[in-house]
Amino acid sequence: MTNSPVGREIDRVDGRLKVTGAAQYSADYPAPGTAYAHVVTSTIGRGTITRIDAGAALASPGVLRVYAAPDPRLKLYPVAPQFRGLVENYAPLQDTAVRFHGQVIAMVVAESVEQARDAAALVTATYDAQPPRTSLADEPRVPAGPTVSGSPSNLTILAPGVESIDAALAASDVVVEAEFHQPVQHHVAMEPHATLAVWDGDRVTVHAGAQIPPAYALLLSQRLGVLPQDIRLISKYVGGGFGARVVVWSDALVAAAAARELGRPVKLVLTREQMFTLVGHRPHLTQIVRLGASRDGVLNAVSHESDAEMPVVGGFNVTPAHATSDTLYRTPNLRVGPRQVILDLPGSRAMRAPNEAPGAFALETAMDELAVATGVDPVELRLRNYATVSPATGLPWSSKHLDECYRVGARRFGWSRRHATPRARVDGQWLFGVGMATAVYPATRHPASVRVRLLDDDTAVVSTATADLGTGGWTMVAIAGADALGIPLKRVTPEIGDSALPQGAPAVGSSATHSTVPLIVGAAREAIAALKQLAVTDPRSPWHGANAEDLRYEEGRLRAHGRSMSFGRLLTALGSRGVDATASGPGGAPAGYAYHSFGAHFCEVRVNRFTCETRVTRFTTVADVGRVINARAARSQLVGGVIFGIGYALLEENPLELDTGRLAGSTLADYLVPVNADIPDIDVHLLDRPDPLLIGPLGDDGGEVGTRSLGARGLGEIGNVGSAAAVGNAIFNATGIRVRDVPITLDKLL
Amino acid sequence: MNSDDNAGPGGSGVSRRNFLGGGLVVAAAAAPLLLTAAADAAADPTAPDPAAAGAGLVTVRVVVNGDPVTVRVDPRATLLDTLRERLELRGTKKGCDRGQCGACTVHVDGRRVLSCLTLTAAADDRAVTTIEGLAQGDRLHPMQEAFIDHDGLQCGFCTPGQIMSAVAMVGEGHASSDDEIRERMSGNICRCSAYPFIVAAIRDAEKVMR
Ligand code: FES
Ligand code: FES
Repeated sequence: MTNSPVGREIDRVDGRLKVTGAAQYSADYPAPGTAYAHVVTSTIGRGTITRIDAGAALASPGVLRVYAAPDPRLKLYPVAPQFRGLVENYAPLQDTAVRFHGQVIAMVVAESVEQARDAAALVTATYDAQPPRTSLADEPRVPAGPTVSGSPSNLTILAPGVESIDAALAASDVVVEAEFHQPVQHHVAMEPHATLAVWDGDRVTVHAGAQIPPAYALLLSQRLGVLPQDIRLISKYVGGGFGARVVVWSDALVAAAAARELGRPVKLVLTREQMFTLVGHRPHLTQIVRLGASRDGVLNAVSHESDAEMPVVGGFNVTPAHATSDTLYRTPNLRVGPRQVILDLPGSRAMRAPNEAPGAFALETAMDELAVATGVDPVELRLRNYATVSPATGLPWSSKHLDECYRVGARRFGWSRRHATPRARVDGQWLFGVGMATAVYPATRHPASVRVRLLDDDTAVVSTATADLGTGGWTMVAIAGADALGIPLKRVTPEIGDSALPQGAPAVGSSATHSTVPLIVGAAREAIAALKQLAVTDPRSPWHGANAEDLRYEEGRLRAHGRSMSFGRLLTALGSRGVDATASGPGGAPAGYAYHSFGAHFCEVRVNRFTCETRVTRFTTVADVGRVINARAARSQLVGGVIFGIGYALLEENPLELDTGRLAGSTLADYLVPVNADIPDIDVHLLDRPDPLLIGPLGDDGGEVGTRSLGARGLGEIGNVGSAAAVGNAIFNATGIRVRDVPITLDKLL
Repeated sequence: MNSDDNAGPGGSGVSRRNFLGGGLVVAAAAAPLLLTAAADAAADPTAPDPAAAGAGLVTVRVVVNGDPVTVRVDPRATLLDTLRERLELRGTKKGCDRGQCGACTVHVDGRRVLSCLTLTAAADDRAVTTIEGLAQGDRLHPMQEAFIDHDGLQCGFCTPGQIMSAVAMVGEGHASSDDEIRERMSGNICRCSAYPFIVAAIRDAEKVMR
């Protein structure tokens, strides 16, 4: 189809709603009789609550309830075995244990926001406190569990005759060994977590931002003890996810349970302060990377080990070498060994590129150090070690154009004008430097279902319970629907963000688009088949009695025997509102290949010679993400990811108080994220090379629907992988100072 | 209160890293008004508001998006909570409730203020414009159009605040260069990081608005 919107610059279909304030986020739904909740959090890091004094709060005007731990009125069930590890492992307000600083210990519900908030401030608690375990360096470490993709996270591959990775390193001409520290970081979605729970008998509708609406509903139903079909989760507009909205946190549990107990809708919106302990963070970690190479930079050994926090209440298992050191470079000897350390900290959660962002910061900084040690240009060094099969698995890639990313990026950026010697470029007060790094992110397809409905008004509805976190999901569904049906975009109505829809792909791991799009193609094909079937069997149809195979579908019309009719007109003639079909897919991709997106980042910084302030002045990213579905949204995602990386490199840190277990940053003035003035124009270029193995169910022939074999891979996270290393490498080039502990604040450059 | 209190030397008052002084002044300036308003409320104890139970309410007359509105509110109520929870104008967002993110930006008498740092009582007798009041019927404001055209949004949660800030900034004549736009829009955090596209949108809308 010549007019397909695929790959073009398409406006967000939800743009108008968002610029007019009409898009409804979770806290924006009206519910008559809503009561307002406010939670109270613990002020110790570990111990037991001995007493909660709720008297003053209860006597406060407008207060309906004070729930204080343990409160049997809020019945919440322990995590079912099949969900262990997916959510926090305790039930809030069900016992007196304090597991981390900032845990929910009480909740006030009142008639108004003001009354709930002020009464909550009157609740006091006394504790039997114990010292929390907080030190990554001092507490016992254990090997980390399997990676997110299920593969073993600990891996050693040695060349024949090599005894150990240490021996391989010792036998190398040049060895780089570097230790990296990354503090606790936060997702900081702009929308605070909000829950509005409305019960109707035993059934409940919950408005809450969720990256996986069906899974969120399922998890919540289990904890509340209701049947899965009795819960409906609405998550149409979500004010950012970044991993913080994958699971059900304690706030949603207590809000929904309180609404049931109280018999009124309850709305709980966390304060920004509470967001720093109740809805996850990127775990802090230490990484040690060792590279052994020949004098001309050819790798002989890669070793990547790490110690990451694992909160006692559960959290994300960080395996930073996964998809970085075990993937990027050809090496005969490879060792990756992530460990975890159980600490009494708030629950952690995957944050945008959860393994790859920290992993690539370490690996790509170490590669820059190897470039310095060997005198090889950083781009050339990476090309010398270019992998054509995955070092960890030996599998070839479905599609890999990383070499082109390096070349195109270097040209766009002007890499050839680089001075290899640090401090070589000075302009007034400013030292200028450039750096580069590689980006990589695995492509995974998840199981999902999509329903396509052709209607008698010549529109189509494409429904799937995925979520749009700002990623462009609404528009992606509309574009793929329009492409598959050959009709204009405006005749496609996307439906997402509602657990009542066919199970959608998770908006996690940069996978929603390439999990969903093939199924849209499949459902469209099935819906067209159903339409043809109707056309030949219904006596009112002009094609009644004809052979369904003789009917051709093209651009919204059926054609055969010299007649042509739009599906809307046909359906109208048949007195039918519409036909629909659902396609389901198991996820996954053809075996025998490795699936990754790739990219190359090039960054220029200036560092003030006197204050050591760092400013990013230029940034170029070239990415190979398979087929691009919406050029505009794709660019936005890539740029957003790069800016996350700039925050990672320069700003983001929540200091942990070791003696109390308190995360010291609790506001947006303590925990800095990039603001507009921190960010230059960012040059993003997408290669747009469809992945030949990630195509729709039709194969490559196109046929009458889905005129393109789509071949999209993920792109939501890859911008955030390696971009921090590019910044750090540029800072080294500017100053000659190598900083391995993020954020690279000015005190570290003095 | 004087809404100028929110306009710091940066013109916006919404530069996250220097807002604190401005914010504190706002609260202090609001206090005398509160007393008068509370006395007013005491004179009319029959107000039918269940949320009131036992608290002294304040009567506030305010023009919102062109419509005169009288509300009786808790004296502690912020303009943000009143807009959202009482007037059901939920386009204005709460991102932090303490003046650090800009999501709650509205116009009071044509100037941008942070509605989370503005007591409702302090908006008495003033004209408030929210994101819902920007378009002329179906015709979007040029800034709204430009945000769509340039993809100056992703999740959209910061967007109402970004747009309200941007419209006022252009009106103040402070959008002369990309650097000036970046600086003066730095009180509006966008975690999705649409910043380069926000700058492009404002640059474009500025030409139309001129
Ligand atoms: S500045 Fe008002 S909500 Fe953040
Ligand atoms: S669009 Fe998501 S925070 Fe700005």
